[in-house]
Amino acid sequence: MTESGYLSRLASGAVARYVAALLCFAALATLGARTIRIENDFTAFLPPSTTPEERLLIAQLRDGLVSRLMLVALEGADENTLARTSRKLAESLGRNAEFEYAANGSLDQFAAQGEVLMRHRYALSPAMSVEKFTVPGLRAALEEQLAQMASPFGALSRSIMTRDPTGEFLAVVRQFDSGAAPGLRHGVWFSGDGKRAFLIAQTRAPGFDSERQEQAMAAVRKALALENPQVNAILTGPGVFAAESRRLIRTDAERLSMLSALVILAMLVFVYRSALAVVLVAIPVAFGLLIGVLVVNTVFGSVHAITLGFAATLIGEAVDYPSYLLLNGAAGEVARNSARRLRVTLALAVLSTVVSALALTLSSFKGLAQLGVLTMVGVLVAGLATQYLIPWLLGDRVLSFRRLNIPTADFLERARWPGIVAAFTVAAAAAWLLHLHPVWWQRDLAGISPVPPALRVQDADLRREMGAPDVSIFLASRGGSQEAALRAAENMLPVLQRWKQEKLIRSFDSPARYLPPLDVQLERLHMLPAQPELERNLAQALKGLLFRPDVFQPFVDEVGAARATPPITLASYMGSPLGARLSALVVELDGQWLVLTPLGGVLDAGKLRQELLAIAESNSHVVDLKQTSATMVDGFRHAALTQAAWAAALILILLVAGLRSPKRALQVALPAGAALILTVALLVILGEQLSVFHLVALLLVLGIGLNYALFFERVSEDVDERPRIRLSLAVCSTSTIITFGFLALSSTPVLHAIGATVSIGAVLALIMSALWARRNEIAPAVT
Amino acid sequence: MDSLGRLRIALRFMVPLILMLETNIVRADAFDLARLMQLLAATPTAEVSFIEKKYSSLLSEPVVSSGKLRYQRPDIVEKNIELPRKEQYRFVGDELLLVRIGAEKRIRLSSQPLLLAFAASLRGVLGGDLALLRAHYQLSLMGDQPSWRLDLIPVDEGIGRYVERIVVSGHEGRIEQIEVREISGDRSVLQVQ
Repeated sequence: MTESGYLSRLASGAVARYVAALLCFAALATLGARTIRIENDFTAFLPPSTTPEERLLIAQLRDGLVSRLMLVALEGADENTLARTSRKLAESLGRNAEFEYAANGSLDQFAAQGEVLMRHRYALSPAMSVEKFTVPGLRAALEEQLAQMASPFGALSRSIMTRDPTGEFLAVVRQFDSGAAPGLRHGVWFSGDGKRAFLIAQTRAPGFDSERQEQAMAAVRKALALENPQVNAILTGPGVFAAESRRLIRTDAERLSMLSALVILAMLVFVYRSALAVVLVAIPVAFGLLIGVLVVNTVFGSVHAITLGFAATLIGEAVDYPSYLLLNGAAGEVARNSARRLRVTLALAVLSTVVSALALTLSSFKGLAQLGVLTMVGVLVAGLATQYLIPWLLGDRVLSFRRLNIPTADFLERARWPGIVAAFTVAAAAAWLLHLHPVWWQRDLAGISPVPPALRVQDADLRREMGAPDVSIFLASRGGSQEAALRAAENMLPVLQRWKQEKLIRSFDSPARYLPPLDVQLERLHMLPAQPELERNLAQALKGLLFRPDVFQPFVDEVGAARATPPITLASYMGSPLGARLSALVVELDGQWLVLTPLGGVLDAGKLRQELLAIAESNSHVVDLKQTSATMVDGFRHAALTQAAWAAALILILLVAGLRSPKRALQVALPAGAALILTVALLVILGEQLSVFHLVALLLVLGIGLNYALFFERVSEDVDERPRIRLSLAVCSTSTIITFGFLALSSTPVLHAIGATVSIGAVLALIMSALWARRNEIAPAVT
Repeated sequence: MDSLGRLRIALRFMVPLILMLETNIVRADAFDLARLMQLLAATPTAEVSFIEKKYSSLLSEPVVSSGKLRYQRPDIVEKNIELPRKEQYRFVGDELLLVRIGAEKRIRLSSQPLLLAFAASLRGVLGGDLALLRAHYQLSLMGDQPSWRLDLIPVDEGIGRYVERIVVSGHEGRIEQIEVREISGDRSVLQVQ
């Protein structure tokens, strides 16, 4: 065909067809750019919650106090510089819009929020008594104040002495000391060795909002650079995790998919030596991805960033279909004809993947359901595009490209022993896995978090150095109203005190101390005498002491004011660090109120539960978030496995119907199933613990394995077709192994899990299909 | 030429003026901070009696207390108050041991900037430790060896918020008085007997 004749033919229709396809794609892309909303809430990839504990866990992980705390460690300078930087940084972060407050342990900071406590000291102080305001009580207090004045602390106590001679403010403050704070140097929190200064900042954004968490991190770094660029800051905490893992996933996904795309492109160019063929291979993937994302966006209202990251997995499979089609065509055959010939095989390949993705779609994990829909729609569209769009685009044109010859290993084709050895290996692997079960399941929610292990280790180290309480165990006190829940928490105070003395816990920080129940507050305020009585008692107590008679007028005034002040509520604390902290610990959940008391240094949560059982009518119980997370992960796994089993059954039915023979269906299904078992065994040998993400990847392996087996299985009829099948399988498996091999290099657990599983699985599926799925050979019986 | 000349003239007038005001000043190189620190450092471990008076706008008369001040190299300072009631403050290393009304309490100095700076002033002056003093205060020395006065002006805000200056005066290597002037206008004067 001459170039000019070709061009005239193009003008007649081919160009119009390509332009139509391009316009169609452009229109879809524009629609996508307008409507698609990308979300970042990582909890979409957490299991759904059913019990109250689980909902509490998810709520805490999403936007609870724990999720909002950012730990900042300053290092790289001498103690003095670090302390100064810590003060400046705390001050500047306190004014920053991204943070509620930044605490560094300093007294001035305490003074700032102390005014609320000072104003309500008589309602809050556990040391209140009627005797304190009688003549002897006041006399003792005043003598104590006089001694204080002459001591080295004189300058300190002077500032509030005239307002609070009975020392109620100190009594309030003393009970708040949770006993779990880091040590102080130069008045601010420091590590034991003085090499790091610590701050704790509470972000306004919830922990899951990785975008705003990233802004908060940037704010810290910017403030620090302004203050002292030499000081180095380590940031950690759930929000930091969210931001960092988002950044890592993004850069990993970008870098790795770019790399694998380049390598695949190079391979396609090498195989086809035709630009048009490479473009044609890309078309079904492009349409599949775009329409898939659009559908996910329509169904769920948004697309999760991680779902998009997984799109790479879709490409890995969809890119194979056009290759099957193009490479399967005989020399001189138009694509239309090869498409017709391959129709059943291709349809089965597509449908089996759709069915395995169906299992994901049914998942109550929002993130996984999205992934399922994306895979189903994407693969279906890619399959249809391969079956109809590519032949339509090509029309009568015969695509000419060099066909590589993949040599056959003749002895492998004839020998039966490799297949039998493989059967024994699979049986042994299955037995071994059954024997070890269930140690190879990942049970910790942290294990399926997208947070790289290095970050988690750093976080654990810093927390230990800080003596920050282990925030995974709470005492949750319940009530129908906020008041009732606080009352339940207050009832627990003596018990908590006893636990602390008995060293069952190291520390506790009960919101009930900041928010005593109404009647407790009123009872305390009733102990305050009326003004004339107080003045009389005070005048008498002052007799013979060195104080000037009128200096305690502020005390008299403030007692008078306290008697008229309404009780302290959550609202009284708003705008202060305490307010931010309390509103995260006093929460409404499912129409009930919960007061959470973080427990530090719990050795045995079971013991605490037993102790609680012994206390009648306690509305409190111990919540261990770690344990809850383990049960949740177990529960989810069971659900996922059940769904996967249904999917497997459906696939089998599909194969029997499509191939019209149970024997042929088995011949296709067995290699894919064996590949799954071997993949799991190999992963376990490599020391991996299987998480939900491995399960997802295994479903993909199943889909890919079925494809290979289907194509191997349909060979025989045509001797000429054999080398073409070999070539198409070689190209497809190479592209899969490249894509997922790169993904396995990722430092993000999720991406690594999927990459490693699928690349191993693809190799094994290819081997097993080659060994078992060829029709002319009898499939060895599996023991 | 012109400005230099003016400076010379100014100096010619200024120097005698300063000398006239500070009648007992001697040549600057004979008695300076280094010399004072030498003298203080040479003083052996000692125990002295003191009377301390606390003046305050809150009080009609000063609170008077008395007891013993003890120093032992390198860092133990003890203030044992005997009257009006027994109290003990003992600074050792990074710790303040406090015995009051029979109850014992330990406080880490580094946790309280005020206490840390206060301990540094006592240790620095008693032990002649110039570096320690300079870490917390700006120093200015007046007078001569037989009668000197050392002003400690806080540089860090931990103590600077409460204390305006500490004035130590003495004779040769002997400290005679430590006066703490607070920002509030209160002051305490500790006189060594």
